[in-house]
Amino acid sequence: MNRLLNVSGSPHVHSDDSVQKIMWSVVIALIPAFVVSVFYFGLPVIILTLVSVGCCVLFEYLIQRFLMKVKPTVSDGSAVVTGVLLAFNVPSNLPIWMMVVGAIVAIGIAKMPFGGLGHNPFNPALVARVFLLIAFPVAMTSWPVPVPVWGFADAVTGPTPLGILKEGANVEMPTYMNMLLGQMGGSFGEVSAIALIIGAIFLMIRKVISWHIPVSFILTVFVFAGIFWLIDPNQYANPFFHVLAGGLVLGACFMATDMVTSPVTPLGMLVFGCGCGLFTIIIRMFGAYPEGVSFSILIMNAFVPLINRMCKPRTFAK
Amino acid sequence: MSKVKILTKGFFKENPSLILVLGMCPTLAVTTSVNNAIGMGAATTFVLLMSNIIISLLKNVIPDKVRIPCYIVIIATFVSMVDLIIKGFLPALSESLGVFIPLIVVNCIVLGRAEAFANKNSVFDSILDGLGMGIGFTISLILVAAVREILGAGSFMGWQFIPSQYNILIFVLAPGAFLVLGFIMALMRHIINRVEDKRKDKMCAAK
Amino acid sequence: MAQKKEPSLIILVVVLTSIALVAGLALTGVYALTKGPIELSQKQKKEKALSDVLPGFDGTIVDTVVNFEGDDILVHKAVDKNGKLFGAGVETFTMKAFSGRFDLMVGFDNEGVILNTEVIKASETPGLGDKINKNKSDFAKQFNNNDPAEYKLQVTKDGGDVDAITAATISSRAYCDAVQRAYNVFMKVKEDYHE
Repeated sequence: MNRLLNVSGSPHVHSDDSVQKIMWSVVIALIPAFVVSVFYFGLPVIILTLVSVGCCVLFEYLIQRFLMKVKPTVSDGSAVVTGVLLAFNVPSNLPIWMMVVGAIVAIGIAKMPFGGLGHNPFNPALVARVFLLIAFPVAMTSWPVPVPVWGFADAVTGPTPLGILKEGANVEMPTYMNMLLGQMGGSFGEVSAIALIIGAIFLMIRKVISWHIPVSFILTVFVFAGIFWLIDPNQYANPFFHVLAGGLVLGACFMATDMVTSPVTPLGMLVFGCGCGLFTIIIRMFGAYPEGVSFSILIMNAFVPLINRMCKPRTFAK
Repeated sequence: MSKVKILTKGFFKENPSLILVLGMCPTLAVTTSVNNAIGMGAATTFVLLMSNIIISLLKNVIPDKVRIPCYIVIIATFVSMVDLIIKGFLPALSESLGVFIPLIVVNCIVLGRAEAFANKNSVFDSILDGLGMGIGFTISLILVAAVREILGAGSFMGWQFIPSQYNILIFVLAPGAFLVLGFIMALMRHIINRVEDKRKDKMCAAK
Repeated sequence: MAQKKEPSLIILVVVLTSIALVAGLALTGVYALTKGPIELSQKQKKEKALSDVLPGFDGTIVDTVVNFEGDDILVHKAVDKNGKLFGAGVETFTMKAFSGRFDLMVGFDNEGVILNTEVIKASETPGLGDKINKNKSDFAKQFNNNDPAEYKLQVTKDGGDVDAITAATISSRAYCDAVQRAYNVFMKVKEDYHE
């Protein structure tokens, strides 16, 4: 990010980064998590991801070609990234037609009506995920139990760790090691923290994302969960649990860092990350939903213009 | 303005909820089913019609200074009447519309027509205006409700034709109302722009 | 209208008052006209709910208000021809619902066995929590003919005997909570009756 989008006065140096390059880097960074998901949830992961990516690209093409009547720009890869992220945010047993509805929402409601790439105030994949969650609450909250072989489509369903926490089910919590590796219930892309972190480190080395948002986001969740945990360890979960459970790592590394919908300055990114973390913890602890990462990122997306204005760098010589 | 135009302008060109963006509360809240939309539309049309008649009859009696309180008293009276009548004779409808019938009092369309039309036009014109606006409002409620009911509940006027596992629940909830309203408004604007462009082209050609 | 002469205060008062008066009179008329039908439809609704939760009962209904844990709860005691307690319909509620509160009517026989339950007022999420209504799912039917003394009014997740609605655990729990409250109230009423 420092090389790419460092906000500073002119003169500017032209860099060889392009939208295309960034998007494909993100796709490469998501491969480890994808491999882990296939390992635990099997064939449906591949099918859903292909459907989601295919539909996102198709709808973007159709909308640009026939509704907006402009030259389609699907080759920039942004629709591919949206498709992959959207697929990563659903349970692996989601019916395929719902995945198609999700792709329509991501592209047709969250992205193109605002003017396409670079103009959408909210992360399209997250808008679609929240839409699906509200539209199909039963399908979106029946999580298949991960089986570390090439599993079958309709395996047993079980709760997510956060679901266990919220609803007090009589199910054993996964161990921390399993949560790190990915053997827990959840949307198929979010389960393995370690694979996601590897991808995020790759992106940071490639300077596609900076460390500010993921670190401040996860740290805020850790600190606030820690405070509650210290107050009453019996009632509130361990902060490590909160970091590893649910979609926090996926959200913090790949969705909160979306360039279009996050602040541009490092200070702004820190504010943004802290805000996301705060809302996540509030929703997880006091909200009706067990998980709050998607909602918190969307809420903070709305604040981005404000944060950008607040954290504007000083004009030169002022 | 011709009499026909007074009646029909509310249907489309000055549609109260889709173009003038008035009366958003019922448009968003009661459009979960087409039946509700029809009930709400009929109740609002009745209130609009009656208040327009009375206000245009009394336009020379009511002093300017107290006109708003007077209009509100008149509107509130008719709304209370409608509320009582629906409660007494259509209890099922009253249950599904709930508090939104009494809330017609604060519907901007009713006061808006009183202010903008009935207090400066003849009784007959006001009747046409009230009817037209009411029908326009009902049309837009039915439009929004039809999309929401079909997508969200898989039915039309209570007749289920899509099995419930294919229903997209969000459309019968509040966020779906906003989404549908937004897209219908955009569609309206699009059509109006198209029509106006065509008219301009014609005028240019005529020159 | 702007050209008109500024009217005096008295005229303002007179106009406003007379409009309010006429409006009031008109409303009174409509009220008198609709009073009967409104009361009738409300009574029918209540009777319908009562006869639903107390199937096969034929006798007199005695209403009592029971104060239970700080809340006033209306109990319709069903007394048969011999003065014996047939059972009761309890207008119970819960505050633990997804949308805050919903109201139920629960019918018990004189042993405390649940005869039937009926939703009086609820605004649970369509497609999810509203499955507590009998026409949407069979959830509520599982309570019938069970004695809460041995039938644990909790969802299976919490170790009870009630199968929760998929993805609507909160509404299911709330339903159990309301029925439990009704049961507690009924037991209290029953004790008092025998005294």
